[in-house]
Amino acid sequence: MSVAALAEATGEGFGPILRARERTAAGLAERRARLDRVRLDPDAAVVLLGSWGRHEVTSASDDDAIVLFCGERRDFTRPGPGEVAAVLGGPAPGPEGLFGATAWLADLTDRVGLDGDTNVNLTRRMLFLLESVAVAGDQAHARARRELLGLYLAPHERDYRPPRFFLNDLVRYWRTIAVDFEGKHRARAGEGWGLRHAKLRFSRKALFAGGLLPVLECHTLPADAMSAFLGGRLAEPPLDRIAAAFLTHGMPDAGARALRAYGDFLQLLDDPRQRGELSRLSEADADGSEVFARVRERGDELQAALLALLFEVPELERLVRDYLVF
Amino acid sequence: MIAVPLSAVAGHHPMGASTGALGRGDDWPALVRSACGVSTHAVELAAHDAAELPGLVAYLRGRPRLPFRHVSVHTPVKGVAAPEAERVAALLRLPPGVRTLIAHPDLVGDPEPYRVLGRRLVFENMDDRKAGGRTADELAPLFEALPEAGFCLDVAHAHTLDPSMALADELLDRFRGRLREVHLSSIRGGAHTTLTAGDEARFGPLLARCRDVPWILEARPPARWSQAEPGAGRRLPLVRTPLAA
Repeated sequence: MSVAALAEATGEGFGPILRARERTAAGLAERRARLDRVRLDPDAAVVLLGSWGRHEVTSASDDDAIVLFCGERRDFTRPGPGEVAAVLGGPAPGPEGLFGATAWLADLTDRVGLDGDTNVNLTRRMLFLLESVAVAGDQAHARARRELLGLYLAPHERDYRPPRFFLNDLVRYWRTIAVDFEGKHRARAGEGWGLRHAKLRFSRKALFAGGLLPVLECHTLPADAMSAFLGGRLAEPPLDRIAAAFLTHGMPDAGARALRAYGDFLQLLDDPRQRGELSRLSEADADGSEVFARVRERGDELQAALLALLFEVPELERLVRDYLVF
Repeated sequence: MIAVPLSAVAGHHPMGASTGALGRGDDWPALVRSACGVSTHAVELAAHDAAELPGLVAYLRGRPRLPFRHVSVHTPVKGVAAPEAERVAALLRLPPGVRTLIAHPDLVGDPEPYRVLGRRLVFENMDDRKAGGRTADELAPLFEALPEAGFCLDVAHAHTLDPSMALADELLDRFRGRLREVHLSSIRGGAHTTLTAGDEARFGPLLARCRDVPWILEARPPARWSQAEPGAGRRLPLVRTPLAA
C-alpha cells in the first residue's frame, strides 16, 4: 500500500485516510456478507463506486451501487437493482440516474464517443475503471475492467508511450466533471454548491490524478506490458497511486503534504457539523465561511503538490508537454 | 517574469518576491507592480515596521485586483511595542485573501493570543544573530502551543547557523507537514542579498523538498536567471524591470 510506504518514508500518520480505509474494509465485508444470499447471474457483479471505490468511506457516505452485466443483453436478469438496494439499504438513486441501476458492459465498451456515449455512460465507464470495488460477482467485475482496459489499449501499438486513447477519454472525463459542476449549479439553483465544490477540489481531483499518473507512467513500458501494469495499478485506491508517484519521483515531502491536506478533507466530511455547513453553503456565502476557507486552502495545497509533481519532475514534465495539451 | 527555467531553482514556478526586497515606503500599488515584475504567482507584502501595517491593511481592504494566487504578509518585526493581543488584533484586520502571516518566533512571548490566527500564522526559522526560534528544538514548543501554525523555511537563515544545511534538513524533517512557504536569498554581512550561484547550488537539494510551496525571494532575482547560459544556444528573456508606478 503506497500510502503506508509514504507514511513510513516521512513519519506521517495520515490518520484520517487510514481511518476511512478501516471503515471501508469493515463496510465492504459486511456488505459482501449481506449480498451472499442474493442470487446472481454468472455474468453479474454488484459494484460500489465513489468513496467505496476510493476506500475513503466516511460516516455520511452513500452506497453508490450499480449492477453490471457482462454478457448478452436480455430481459430477465438477477439481481435487480431494487433487490440490491433493499439488501444494501442504500438511498434512492441520484437525480442523474447514475447509481442504483443496471448497466451493461457492452454499453461501456461499444458506445465510446459520438452521440451514444452519454454523460452517464462516460461516467460509469470511468468510475468502473478508476474507482470501483465489487461486493458480489468479483469475476464479472474483473472481466469488465479487463475488457474496458482492452478497449483503450487495443489501438495502442507504440512502446514506451502513454496510451493516448485512454488518456484522451480520461482528460475528457475530468473536464466533463468540471463543466458539469457548473451545469449542476444551474440545474439545482445552487443547492449543494459548497459540498460539490469541496469534492471537485479533492475527491474528483484525486480520481483524475489517480488515473492520469499511471497512464503517463506507461511511457516506461513496452505496449504489451501496459495492460497488466494498468490493471494492477487501477485495482489500487487512487490515493495509493498518487502516493506511489510521489515516492517514485523522489518527492515524498510534497506527497506527505498532499495527503495531509486530503486527510483534512476526509476529516471534514466525517464531521456532521462541517459537512452540514458545506452542504448548505451557497456560492454567495462562501467568502464568509471558515469551513469553506479551509477547503479552499487545503485544496490549493493538494493541487500545488500535484502540479509540482507534474511540472517540476523533468520526466513527467516532458510527458505532460508531449501528451496532455494537444 | 522568470519565464524560462534556467536551472532547477529558477524553474520553480510558484515563485514570488517580497516587496521588502524591491523597495521601501508605503506606496503599496507601486510595490505590488514591482513584485509583478518578478512573478504574478506569489507575493509577500512586507510590513517589517509596525507603522507600515495600517497602510497595508487599508490598501488590501480596498480590494485591489491582485493577480497573485498566493499572498502572504510579513508581519512587523520593528516598532512592535504594543501588547501581543493588540498586535494580533491588528493582524486580524487583514482580509481573508491574505492566507499567510509570516511571523518571527522570537517575538512571541505568550502564544495564547496568537491562537486565533489559526493556520494563517506561519513562523519562519531565525538566523544566527537571534537568540531563539533558530532550530527545530527551539521552534518545537511554539508549534506545540499553536498546533495550527505553519512553517516557513528561511533557507539563508538556516545556512548562517549550519553551512552543511543539515539543520535545514532537520527543520524540514520535523516540520514537513507544516511547510507553507520558503524564503530564498543569500545572506552576506547580516543582510539578505541576491542568491549567489554557490548558494543556489548548495540549497538545491533542500529546495527540491519544497517544490509544492511558494518560494519568496527576499532579494532581487539573480541576473543569471534572465541571461543566456553559456552553450545554451538561445537567448532568454530578461527579467522584466519593475513596472512604472
